[in-house]
Amino acid sequence: MNARAVAAWSAACLFVVLSTTNPVYKLMVLAAALSALAAGASLRRIRSLLVAVLLISAFAIVLNFVSAHLGTTVLFELPAQIPALGGPYTLEALVFGAIGGITISAAILAAAPFSVLLASHEVMDAVPAPLSRTGVAIAASLNLVPGVATSFVQVTEAQRLRGWRPRGPRSWMEVVVPVVLTSVEGSIQLAESMEARGFGSGARTTMTSHALQRRDWMLVAASGLALAGFAFSHAAGWATDWFPYPTLTFPTVDLRPIAACLLLFTPVLVWRSRR
Amino acid sequence: MAIATLTDLTYWYPGRAHAALKNVRLAIEGGLTVIAGPSGGGKSTLLRTFNGLVPHFHGGRIAGKAEVMGFDVIATPTRDMARHVGFVFQEPELQTVYNVVDREVAFGLENTGVPRREIAGRVEEALQAAGVADLAGRAVRTLSGGERQRVALASALATRPRIVVLDEPTSQLDPGGAQMVLAAATRLVDEGRSVIVSEHRLDRLLGHAAGLVLVDRGMVTTADPREWRPPPPPVRPARSTPLGGEAWSLHSVSAGFDGQVVLDAVDIAGRSGEVVALSGPNGGGKTTLLRLIAGSLAPLSGSVARGPGRVAYLPQNPTVLLHLPTVRAEVSFTLERSGELDQPERILNELGLLTMADRYPRDLSCGERQRTALAAVLPGSPALVLLDEPTRGIDSSARGALVALVARLRDRGASIVLATHDEDLRNALADRVLNVANGRVAEMALAVTP
Repeated sequence: MNARAVAAWSAACLFVVLSTTNPVYKLMVLAAALSALAAGASLRRIRSLLVAVLLISAFAIVLNFVSAHLGTTVLFELPAQIPALGGPYTLEALVFGAIGGITISAAILAAAPFSVLLASHEVMDAVPAPLSRTGVAIAASLNLVPGVATSFVQVTEAQRLRGWRPRGPRSWMEVVVPVVLTSVEGSIQLAESMEARGFGSGARTTMTSHALQRRDWMLVAASGLALAGFAFSHAAGWATDWFPYPTLTFPTVDLRPIAACLLLFTPVLVWRSRR
Repeated sequence: MAIATLTDLTYWYPGRAHAALKNVRLAIEGGLTVIAGPSGGGKSTLLRTFNGLVPHFHGGRIAGKAEVMGFDVIATPTRDMARHVGFVFQEPELQTVYNVVDREVAFGLENTGVPRREIAGRVEEALQAAGVADLAGRAVRTLSGGERQRVALASALATRPRIVVLDEPTSQLDPGGAQMVLAAATRLVDEGRSVIVSEHRLDRLLGHAAGLVLVDRGMVTTADPREWRPPPPPVRPARSTPLGGEAWSLHSVSAGFDGQVVLDAVDIAGRSGEVVALSGPNGGGKTTLLRLIAGSLAPLSGSVARGPGRVAYLPQNPTVLLHLPTVRAEVSFTLERSGELDQPERILNELGLLTMADRYPRDLSCGERQRTALAAVLPGSPALVLLDEPTRGIDSSARGALVALVARLRDRGASIVLATHDEDLRNALADRVLNVANGRVAEMALAVTP
């Protein structure tokens, strides 16, 4: 799995899902992203991501449903005197919220292979050579993130046993300050270790080749075709937009943008599982 | 011929009036050189002059000359010295850049522009030299502390340096892990490289050493390693009060994280005035057991009971405790929160910290920080004392002070649990030793009679 090929596929997915309001095409991108992740990782590895995506989507749906009192199909109504919440609750607002949830979910899942399927060094290896030092620095700092979470737990436990209790925002300084200081010290020590191993001494090489394999080329080609095909469909008026307001209707669908979206399922064929 | 020569070298950290190294005159020959001395004496600073981290990374002022492998260290950046001097730090977790072993070992080769076609072979060579060829391809997070430290050693070896410097490489490791790292280091000497290593437990190394360098308060002297005798282990303090009633207990306790059981069906208890030592390998569950007793970690099943009174808990990484501007303030903080009427100076004096009472704790050396953390959790009269690796990085005199302090708390009725790899500490204090490994806790025979 080459990070540059993954980037091409993610970019195509993001382009499609963000360039149309038509829920059918958005749903296809969501399905493509889900199937790609399932092809590359076990359910156990992506379970927490899916839960997070579901929660974010639910929030988007609820937010639009309670705040957008537009549309003609009224499901129920709250008295107008209730601030912010009062007014008609419509099917159109509910559906529009759901489309927002699908958009967010598809976008997150399309970018997820970078964190779920690729190691940080694989991502950073894909960074163009002039930015490689920056890439390595980012990869190294990402390795410190779990340490910050561990520090937070350790500091909270240790301070509780010294009599600390959370009593308002100021009391958290007794936890936050040592966590920040510990993290900064960890970063400095990592920087010292990198310096001691010659970081910054000149042009870098890398252990692994970035050359695209046949499977990677297939994915890049499919992603490029999907992006170009959908863009052309949009420009030609085949991939029409859709809005649920003022009255809900079924979206119009055309086979040509559907075909472009189907190309986004290519990872199912070319990605080997990294369970 | 000397591989490293320091001539009248004096070094001040930024903003410090006192020099960390004072007029050092030192010539290091090949083979194994051991650097010893009390914590805070300047060992780490001295080691960092060999690859130029002092002064290039740390800043500050430097006077005199430092020449290593023919290079003027003061004029040569550390990144260029990296080809000639490999460096292994104390904490394996804080020197990992990549999350896969092979890539981690290749990092120095990538930085120094070694052609791609050579890198894989050099990585394999370095892994073999460090004795960890079987770890190739493993995720770094799955390695034990000893394995990680040997991967760090392999990373330092990948650039084929003539000198390898190790800064207390075993201070975080269990005896098995420490033995593996030191065996790898001595094997390098047999292969013709020069190794400079700082250690507190000199008995592990001096049999192989060609040179012994003593560093204390910035002054550097040399000694004959064959004439060195280990300091006597701390004397076991006599007990002045009998054991009391049950102070804490675990009944059928299981505990773990992320669906993995770390401890299973544990039934143990401790009494007031008793010292229980926890032994076992890194990752065996000692820290989990301490957190259960402290009440910081809820058991998956079973019950934990504690008597009344304050719990004093020293975490494995003592630095996480320290957040106040002075050592004295850290002690006062605990006393104020617990409402106990004790003078901070008492425990500072017991742990030899009075002279640094007004210093910023995070400016101190590793061993001094450890003593500060001990002082921060142990003032007053805690009822339950839980110490996770309390002798990490501290020297033999500080270990003696700790033994006396723990004995005083024990005689005042505190129930004490120590998780430690330190055999001398165990022998000096433990009434019982529990081995914690593979999810089980089993009583072990005492090496000495209480």
